[in-house]
Amino acid sequence: MTVNRSARVARRGFLTSAAVGGATIVGASALGALDAEAAFAAPVPSLDPAVTTTTFAEGRVGAVKGAMLHVAGSYGETHHIQITNATSIWKVRAVTLDDIRVGDGLYARGVTMPDGTVAADAVWVNIVNLYTSIRGIHRRRLHLAHGNDELIGHTLPETAASYAGGALTADLSRLRIGQPAQILGAWRPADGGIDVVRVTVGH
Amino acid sequence: MCHVRDKLCVPRFLPSSYREESTVACSTTALWAGETTWFCCGAAWGPCASTGGGACGNCRSAANHGAWPNASQACWDLTRPDLCGEGGIPRRGCGSVMNISHQCSGATVCITITDCGPRTRSFCGEQACCGGSCRVNRVLDLTPAAFSAIGSLSSGVLPVLITE
Repeated sequence: MTVNRSARVARRGFLTSAAVGGATIVGASALGALDAEAAFAAPVPSLDPAVTTTTFAEGRVGAVKGAMLHVAGSYGETHHIQITNATSIWKVRAVTLDDIRVGDGLYARGVTMPDGTVAADAVWVNIVNLYTSIRGIHRRRLHLAHGNDELIGHTLPETAASYAGGALTADLSRLRIGQPAQILGAWRPADGGIDVVRVTVGH
Repeated sequence: MCHVRDKLCVPRFLPSSYREESTVACSTTALWAGETTWFCCGAAWGPCASTGGGACGNCRSAANHGAWPNASQACWDLTRPDLCGEGGIPRRGCGSVMNISHQCSGATVCITITDCGPRTRSFCGEQACCGGSCRVNRVLDLTPAAFSAIGSLSSGVLPVLITE
């Protein structure tokens, strides 16, 4: 999880310049491979002396125009999120701009540009991290209670579980009805279900 | 009325005078260390849409907020970190300010406590590791804004040092 700080700063500087200059970056960048997980994990110190803080935005995608996401915030605000070739996008897994749909929810981290847009270095689409309890277990889905709501958790080939603090495993057979379960996954706007990436249960 | 779905719903357990965000600056006095997770609160989309403002009433996913397992006695009775060996976590109510640092990267975010959580007792022994060193037991929940300031939301958990 440790990320080289100089690499982070270089990446962020690259991101900012790419967004400001409207550059189109194709293929391998001057920074080398833009490892998705490292990019998502990268904390965000100030990168440019002129930029003292980073920006966080959340809401639902109202339109995708080129590489710009028009996002309606949950408190009525509007965000314009600029995607660059240096932006890491998560939607169950690392994806591209083409996988973002109108109606998706998102969290974005980036830098506010002079024109008010946010040049994103990381965007998490539809991501949820829910405290639930397991109400039912089927071959490809979990029935979950989340507060007073019921949710359907759809298991995927990459769904993993952690039992009692243990390492992640693809073995879901030890899940039990009635267990409290932390569900990390992606909300499905079409049907309200969750694509389950990780299930964490205790003892 | 409390509508907290994802968090521990402990409505009206703290005096209203404690519900304003503090203006006290974050500091460097060690408070605790452990694992943090993240949660959503306030107006939101998807399953988070009706989570409400949390135990303090003012929690927002887009603000640097957090949930503390000993925000009150009622809160403690639900989270029970002592059952995981974290019995000494001090009381810090709504409006308390903490500095949260990623154990390895050193990335830091200053947060205000606005909710009760996480439910430590359900996940005793859970670990978050980096650089060959692990922190055990979830002792803090951060909003997406705060969590993403020091790590990736897709990691789900992070090892952190907490100061005040």
